[in-house]
Amino acid sequence: MVDIGSLALAIAWVLALYAALMSLAGAYWRKRDFIASAEHASLAVWGLVTIAGATLLHALVTHDFNLEYVAHYSSSTLPLPYTIAALWGGQSGSLLFWLMILTSMGAVVLLQNRECNRELMPYVNVVLMLIAFFFLSMLNFVTPPFQRLAFTPAEGQDLNPLLQNYWMTIHPPALYLGYVGCAVPFAFAIGALVTGKLGDAWIRTTRRWTLLAWFFLSMGNLFGAQWAYLVLGWGGYWAWDPVENAAFMPWLTCTAFLHSVMIQEKKNMLKIWNMVLVILTFALTIFGTFLTRSGVISSVHSFTQSGLGPFFMIFLGATLAVSVALLIWRLPQLKSENELDSVLSRESTFLLNNLVLVGIAFAVFWGTVFPVISEAVRGIKITVGPPFFNKVNTPLGLTLLFLTGVGPVIAWRRASARNLERNFLLPVSLGLLGGIVLFSAGIRHYYALLSFALCIFVLATIAMEFYRGIRARQAMVGENPATALLRLISKNRRRYGGYIIHIGVVMMFLGITGTSAFKEEKQITLKPGESFTMGGDTLRYDGVTAHETKHIAYWTANIAVFQDGRQVGTLQPEKRFYKKPEQPTTEVAIRSRPGADLYLVLGSYDEASKMATIQAYINPLVSWLWWGGVVLVIGTAVTIVPNRAPARAPAYAPSRGRGAVAAD
Amino acid sequence: MNSVSLKQTGLGLLCCAAALVGFLLPRVPTVLGAAVVSFEDLEESLTCQCGCGLTVHACNHLHCPSAEPLREEIRAQMALGKSKAEILAYFRSKYGEKILSSPTTTGFNLVAWVMPFALMILGGLIVGVAIMRWSGRAQQKSPAEQQPARPASPYDKILEKELKDFEA
Repeated sequence: MVDIGSLALAIAWVLALYAALMSLAGAYWRKRDFIASAEHASLAVWGLVTIAGATLLHALVTHDFNLEYVAHYSSSTLPLPYTIAALWGGQSGSLLFWLMILTSMGAVVLLQNRECNRELMPYVNVVLMLIAFFFLSMLNFVTPPFQRLAFTPAEGQDLNPLLQNYWMTIHPPALYLGYVGCAVPFAFAIGALVTGKLGDAWIRTTRRWTLLAWFFLSMGNLFGAQWAYLVLGWGGYWAWDPVENAAFMPWLTCTAFLHSVMIQEKKNMLKIWNMVLVILTFALTIFGTFLTRSGVISSVHSFTQSGLGPFFMIFLGATLAVSVALLIWRLPQLKSENELDSVLSRESTFLLNNLVLVGIAFAVFWGTVFPVISEAVRGIKITVGPPFFNKVNTPLGLTLLFLTGVGPVIAWRRASARNLERNFLLPVSLGLLGGIVLFSAGIRHYYALLSFALCIFVLATIAMEFYRGIRARQAMVGENPATALLRLISKNRRRYGGYIIHIGVVMMFLGITGTSAFKEEKQITLKPGESFTMGGDTLRYDGVTAHETKHIAYWTANIAVFQDGRQVGTLQPEKRFYKKPEQPTTEVAIRSRPGADLYLVLGSYDEASKMATIQAYINPLVSWLWWGGVVLVIGTAVTIVPNRAPARAPAYAPSRGRGAVAAD
Repeated sequence: MNSVSLKQTGLGLLCCAAALVGFLLPRVPTVLGAAVVSFEDLEESLTCQCGCGLTVHACNHLHCPSAEPLREEIRAQMALGKSKAEILAYFRSKYGEKILSSPTTTGFNLVAWVMPFALMILGGLIVGVAIMRWSGRAQQKSPAEQQPARPASPYDKILEKELKDFEA
């Protein structure tokens, strides 16, 4: 069975190269049969890679420990969901999984475009197949997933216990879907550059792909944060680790692209910039994949070092070189007659939004690679840790939050004094008032005050937009508010879906601000029956109970939570001891409320004295971060579902001093 | 609530906000000058060397072979009455620069801090110049020459009309 997997990868390698070359030849000599043959070969690559993936999955599920990968990343006692997750838990398996997603998306793209974009498609196929060819080369020659051992071990070494968590079963797939999804707009962009079809056809074709990739990048980052929050037990969710940064950077540039592309759709401007953003986003996804696998920068998330680094660097360099060369070649055609009716306009705001997003991406990139630069220049190893990233990114993040409020409601083309007054007077006043009220309430963390005030400002701008739309529908059609709201959203999904996404982003800012500025923590060692107070709650330690399964042994601390003398719950943080490999981990216990999470970790337990050390944290507003993610999902769903109305030309409502109602 | 009442509400709130700012501003403590050395601040300024990748403050490994001794050393240094800069200099000379959780602000390390903001300023200048040039270009043209706006969708037209009628 395993031999089938190896064989499938070997044939797929040949076919991927064949598909790329035939597609290129077909496009160059205008041979339809060449192009058709290449497309069939691409579909065959997808089938073969799927077979290889299924083979590895079968080997994992059937515990074929003769296979090195299976012996290294699973065991017979590993629960089934984690056995499946082991497919992306190791180096070669994760590359295979990456490739499965890429070829599947490639197949969907081919099938979607059988009747359209026919001039672009051969080049799109070339790009996707060359990326697949690179990954297949790694899987066939550098880190093969189907290597046999000289003997069959009785038991596997098991999956890293830190990865044995629900969020780890969905975090990597989400992130990979995001990473790979960025390859589709990149392939179309390259196709557009090669063919000279530089209008917005390729942008319209890839709009949903880009949004989908952005959505999965968002989810991948959030799932990773949730995993860190629940598994690592340090009370936080983001540590600016190089691998976290690697996932964050393409999200930033992809967000910038989603905004700037609107200007191209509306005004046929920024074609060069949009190309740069697409190329940069894809390059950053490859850079992220390189970072996790090269060992160049130390990270707790890295895979074992494997010699893949130089190959990824060459691939990244070649990708950038070809892309930039094509971009320079097409510069004359890409140059558009850029015009802005006014400095004060939504176009200008979007340009500033792009500047800040790319600026944050650069700051994160710079901080991530600076230790390597420092070592190369000075020969001294330094650390660039969370304090650096927080100091640099906080002002930039707050600027972005401000622009989130301004962008959607300032007029397209030209914002008149009336437009500004009409759209911003109330939100600015509410933001200021909110900040002052919070200051009066005793908050003296000035970044937090600014952040909360800006959150109120942004929410007020969005609320006003919804309010006006609903009132207009009520006045004209006589609908009740709920119906008016639903119809308002359903008739312009892109615009109102975008607003909902912004609400999610504001909620995330609230969560990040709360945990960054007002976190409390305490470490205390207690005897059974002893109590301590935390964030207004009284916590009584009632002892530890021991449990054991064939996979893990664990201690559970029983901690009763009292509010005003009344027991409101019991929290049970655990200390786990995995048997293979022998490694202790923490399983935190959380009492989550909208205002704050009470977060408990069982640090240690002494069986003789029955004393336990508890680490307790109060994480204010952290649940807003996760609920913001849910709102973001809803907003993306609203945006991505097509309007039921027939396809329309891109809108650009003429400004009459009321651009706030102009369509997106 | 029509646009007039919205405006009145906004102006009222703005006046309230201005009055509150006037009242509270003299009472704002001057925090920037306060250079009190806090234990937590020092913990945050040092990186745990156990491989967790976190600061000494964030490392939650119980009995961590790196974080625990470092915390003891911080307490000992604070007990000597040293300033934050002196304490960090002590750790730097003892363990090397990698112990610091962020680059120093001297020599080559200054590049780490300056570069993101320098590029932002440069980018801001480029964007600013571009916006000015592009808006100037449009203003130089006669109305007939100006880039025609793409047609609004039927829905946008309806919404525009509804809003106009509603606010009339």
